[in-house]
Amino acid sequence: MHPVIPYVLAAMLFGAGVYGVVVRRNAVLVLMAVELMLGAVNLVLVTADATMRLHTGQTLALFVIVVAAAEVGLGLAIVLQLYRLRRSIVTDDVGAEPASAEGEEEPVKVVA
Amino acid sequence: MDGYLGSYATLGVLLVVAGAFFVVAYTANRVLRTNAPSAAKSTSYECGLDPAEGSDWAQAQIRYYVYAFLYALFAVESVFLFPWAVVFDGLGMVSVAEMGVFVAVLALGLLYAWRKGVLTWT
Amino acid sequence: MNDIQLPAIDYAALLPMLIVFGAACVGILVEAFAPRGWRFVIQVSLTIGGLVAGLVAIIVNRDLEITTIGGAVTVDGPGLFLQGAIIILGIVSLGLIAERRLERGGPFVAEAAHAANSDGDKRQEREPGATEVFPLTLFAIAGMMLFCVSGDLLTMFVALEVFSLPLYLLCGLARRRRLISQEAALKYFLLGAFASAFFLYGVALLYGYAGTVSLTGIREGVLQSEQSGILLAAGLALLAIGLLFKAAAVPFHVWTPDVYQGAPTPVTALMAACTKAAAFGGLLRVFNVAFETTAWDWQPVLATVAILTMVVGSILAVAQTDIKRLLAYSSVANAGYLLVGVVSLNGAVGSSLFYLIAYGFSVLGAFAMVTLVRDSEGEATHLSRWAGLGKGSPLFSALFTFLMLGFAGIPLTSGFTSKFALFSSAWDSDQSVLVIVGVLSSVVLAFPYLKVVVLLWLNPPGEETPTVSVPSMLTRAVIFAGVAVTFVLGVAPSFLLDIVADAGPFLAK
Repeated sequence: MHPVIPYVLAAMLFGAGVYGVVVRRNAVLVLMAVELMLGAVNLVLVTADATMRLHTGQTLALFVIVVAAAEVGLGLAIVLQLYRLRRSIVTDDVGAEPASAEGEEEPVKVVA
Repeated sequence: MDGYLGSYATLGVLLVVAGAFFVVAYTANRVLRTNAPSAAKSTSYECGLDPAEGSDWAQAQIRYYVYAFLYALFAVESVFLFPWAVVFDGLGMVSVAEMGVFVAVLALGLLYAWRKGVLTWT
Repeated sequence: MNDIQLPAIDYAALLPMLIVFGAACVGILVEAFAPRGWRFVIQVSLTIGGLVAGLVAIIVNRDLEITTIGGAVTVDGPGLFLQGAIIILGIVSLGLIAERRLERGGPFVAEAAHAANSDGDKRQEREPGATEVFPLTLFAIAGMMLFCVSGDLLTMFVALEVFSLPLYLLCGLARRRRLISQEAALKYFLLGAFASAFFLYGVALLYGYAGTVSLTGIREGVLQSEQSGILLAAGLALLAIGLLFKAAAVPFHVWTPDVYQGAPTPVTALMAACTKAAAFGGLLRVFNVAFETTAWDWQPVLATVAILTMVVGSILAVAQTDIKRLLAYSSVANAGYLLVGVVSLNGAVGSSLFYLIAYGFSVLGAFAMVTLVRDSEGEATHLSRWAGLGKGSPLFSALFTFLMLGFAGIPLTSGFTSKFALFSSAWDSDQSVLVIVGVLSSVVLAFPYLKVVVLLWLNPPGEETPTVSVPSMLTRAVIFAGVAVTFVLGVAPSFLLDIVADAGPFLAK
């Protein structure tokens, strides 16, 4: 017996995450897409753990959660910094000249 | 109703029934209702508030970021503390010392944050 | 319930990493409590002291071969050699990080939280740089050390994050040109997080396949597992993507030029030397220990990646007009040569280790010299600005020429001996196609280096040629180390070749 459904579901989640990273232009949404990919990882780990009765997969999932939290914390700091820099977190604009470095009341630019 | 996927048959039937109910209900609605569109009707409905203008991008006060981050620090700490608490009884002082080191390293981060003054609400 | 046993821990084997991690933690305490004026001195001596102590511990451990903490760490000959290499290269690059004479306050910004070009940012232009960079560097180096000796994929992942996260931050801390520095940090972070998600998914699939994440367990699982082979193939592919990203192999190299250009040059040097050593240490270990028995399946794919990396890296290097981007593409091409070593499996482990040391020192020397060419805007990295520097600064130009010739693989430099050792061991492992492509691409790659040399000596100086600043002893020492090692390993490589031969194969039990 092979646990098809969880593996397929995990693959779909991971695919959705990859799609999100590739398509989304908002740095925060890209981060969320990466989280989706890590969710798929946890699903595979727990599935393998449950079907093979190993009890190590659960622990691995904990590690994944923790490291993902650390990664997102740091990532948000970098994104925040970029937002202060150019009042926008559209990844397409990275590398272009800032619209206005001093702009206080610039409208916030968000593309989903 | 047997085999690996057979156990999901009930769920599958439920999903089909739910989908059919949705389709039938909305089709009946569309067929039977009167149709009188107006501009006010097509704005988004928010209870008691005027619909938000322009961007859907809301900003939170930046100070919360540090607190959210510190919360993550301790939430993450407890992720490891709980499984450890279940088994440490049989493992003796060594595991207590090891967990002490882990907590101390995390406390180091908090100490740094405190000395840098991020914990005071300005 | 309490059938859980604590795994045995061999603290002697972990000592080098514990020392460096400990020094990093003390560094945080210093940041928190030491008076501002003293921090720089304390941090520099603490960092160097910690790294030297770690190096001593590695030398004491040199004959150790052990698997400890329940298989999480495997200390063996190549692992110890890589750890030592990372520490030595780390100490050398520290000379650049601690340099404070070239630029008032050092190459790092005082408070990165100020937005670029804001009033606060202009005010801090003359303030001394942040000393947090030293603990961050120590954490990164300790993570790299753990990465090279991790015995299971989970430890490897944790180590990967431990050395990546500080590097993401360090990339965004440049004093000058804050914009491209912060953007480099963002690019590196987003792509790095993407790649580590691939790595983890690969780990999870391999766990589903073999029922364990330990490298030796996967090696045995390959022979016994009843699970579908698709899990193994997909897991291996995704794992490799994550690792190849860190190693900057084509087609996972797109971050390299932007990040190398945007990051502060000392951090670029650290990434080019140490991260490369760590990434290839991990690649070598994974493929030699866990997947040696399935080599027939992955060797053709990895060989294709190696060919692509060598060809694309060297061709794109020709078109560069910025010295940091040129060195970035040359680092991509060098990743290709090292991949030849990975494909050749056990036969080329020793020569790959030799190559990592030789390349690391040359690239540290080169980036150290890049920090010297300055105008009022900071470093002048555009190649057109370098025209005719040979007239005004003959010593600088001569040393840089020597390093460029070293990269190009001219005899009497380490570039020649290391390429020769690597390619001849790959040839002996029947990778003749890869060797031929490698030799041809290194001929192409010699062209941009020689272009720089011609530019330095033969072109007339431009209207506003930047000056070559006089650095403090630290940067001088880095340049001296880079040039001297490039020369010594080119003339008398045998002692280091003996050491890497003694290091032996990876421990696969």
